[in-house]
Amino acid sequence: MKVTVDRDLCIGAGNCALTAPAVFDQDVEEAVVILLDESPPESELVAVRQAVDRCPAAVIQLHP
Amino acid sequence: MSLPALPLPSEDVQPFDPPPEYADLRSSGEVIRVACPTGLDAWLVSDYAGVREVLGDGRRFSARPGQASHMLASYGPDAPVDNFTRWDGPEHIRIRRNFAPQVTHARRLAELWPLVERITDEAITAMLASPQPYPLHSRFSTSITTSVIAELIGVPPAERHLLGQAAGALFTTSTTPQELREALTPLYTYLYQAVATRRVQPGDDVLSRMIEHSADSDRPLTDGELTEMNAALLVAGFDTTASMITHGLVTLLNKPGEWEKLVADPDVATSAADELVRYLGVGTGLLRQATEDTEINGQKIKTGEYVVVAVQSGNRDPALHADADALDVARKPGPHLGFGHGAHACVGQQIARMELTTVLRALATRVPTLRVAVPLDSLRWKTDSVVRGPVELPVAWS
Ligand code: HEM
Ligand code: SF4
Repeated sequence: MKVTVDRDLCIGAGNCALTAPAVFDQDVEEAVVILLDESPPESELVAVRQAVDRCPAAVIQLHP
Repeated sequence: MSLPALPLPSEDVQPFDPPPEYADLRSSGEVIRVACPTGLDAWLVSDYAGVREVLGDGRRFSARPGQASHMLASYGPDAPVDNFTRWDGPEHIRIRRNFAPQVTHARRLAELWPLVERITDEAITAMLASPQPYPLHSRFSTSITTSVIAELIGVPPAERHLLGQAAGALFTTSTTPQELREALTPLYTYLYQAVATRRVQPGDDVLSRMIEHSADSDRPLTDGELTEMNAALLVAGFDTTASMITHGLVTLLNKPGEWEKLVADPDVATSAADELVRYLGVGTGLLRQATEDTEINGQKIKTGEYVVVAVQSGNRDPALHADADALDVARKPGPHLGFGHGAHACVGQQIARMELTTVLRALATRVPTLRVAVPLDSLRWKTDSVVRGPVELPVAWS
């Protein structure tokens, strides 16, 4: 799986980092999403799917 | 023919559930035209996918009319667009970028847990030393959430009454524009002065950190913006959360087995916090306005028309959880809409989760025999406010 994020539209709500901390973090300055792993292992699939659903700004994309 | 009225929560029907009209509307996905309390007519969207689509697309559905202008007489949809809660697009994102490091960043939140835990522990100690029945909403829930947000922003105890005054007027449906101005002015005056003071004497509070953080950006926040942003945190921050604690507890205590799950494992508090917001949140709905001719669930909506999204109904859609009408405090948090969705989704949602989790965990641990001290049907419910819940909740323990 491949994950992409659109940082320009991120509102820094932090749900991604809470839901899938191995894949997402937030930068210190603006709390904007940081993609830690753009090709996370299959074991992260469920968490990444949840992060996609829980991102209020809909800026996380999952490409199977 | 006159339009049907927007269905609203009422104390005599069911204090925990959306009005019964929503069940059929939601399952058909039908979008109907309704008359709202403030006199505007709107399209009503009540299914999960529809609510999510409207809130998630700020380009087609603007926040410009104000999130509750269908409910609040004080805040007409044609009033000047005076603050970020009614902005769309990049201007709004700029403000959100200035909030996020202070109130949603995971590392910042880690620093705030001890504060919330201390305030909660002190409130429980005070409660246990008091005579029963104990008025939980005013003395416990409101006291905790007021202290948390006031300490975050650095508002000293002597000025904290300004919050209650401002929020009371803002969330009450019958407040006139004039009354609202009068109720908000003292808080704004205080904050405006606080901005000036913190510019020269910064502390470790959210306001000082916002000033410092934005100082090196291309467009630093103005005094007016800082005042507006901190007023929004203060006013949106305590009454919503206090009501959710109180409304959440009376709901939990009334559903067989739910409180027991928490007592058996106080760490269930984490999922319980999200579940209560899903179950009870935003009963009066949120307002948006179409910016172009568009459609929702096949219903044509014209440019300029209003749309009300019934958030609580959307959260009870079997499309979200097969048993969405059941409260289950152990339910793994899903993508519910109780904190909104899209660019305006609640700024304070991580703080609210932290407060709810801490309070539920601490009560289940220290006051496992907690119960509502009066029959449910003798409770009075707020009906003149967009923040729902019991007016007061007398509780007891043994
Ligand atoms: C359980 C408690 C809470 C609930 C259910 C709640 C719910 C919501 C919802 C549904 C919205 C979205 C409104 C819209 O889309 O038009 C919102 C926005 C907002 N909330 Fe909360 N909230 C809670 C607690 C808090 C707290 C603790 C704070 C402050 C620390 C806060 C500050 C705000 C602000 C400033 C906005 C406006 C955001 C914007 O327009 O960009 N809320 N809240
Ligand atoms: S959940 Fe979405 S909006 Fe929030 S920080 Fe992550 S990517 Fe950004």
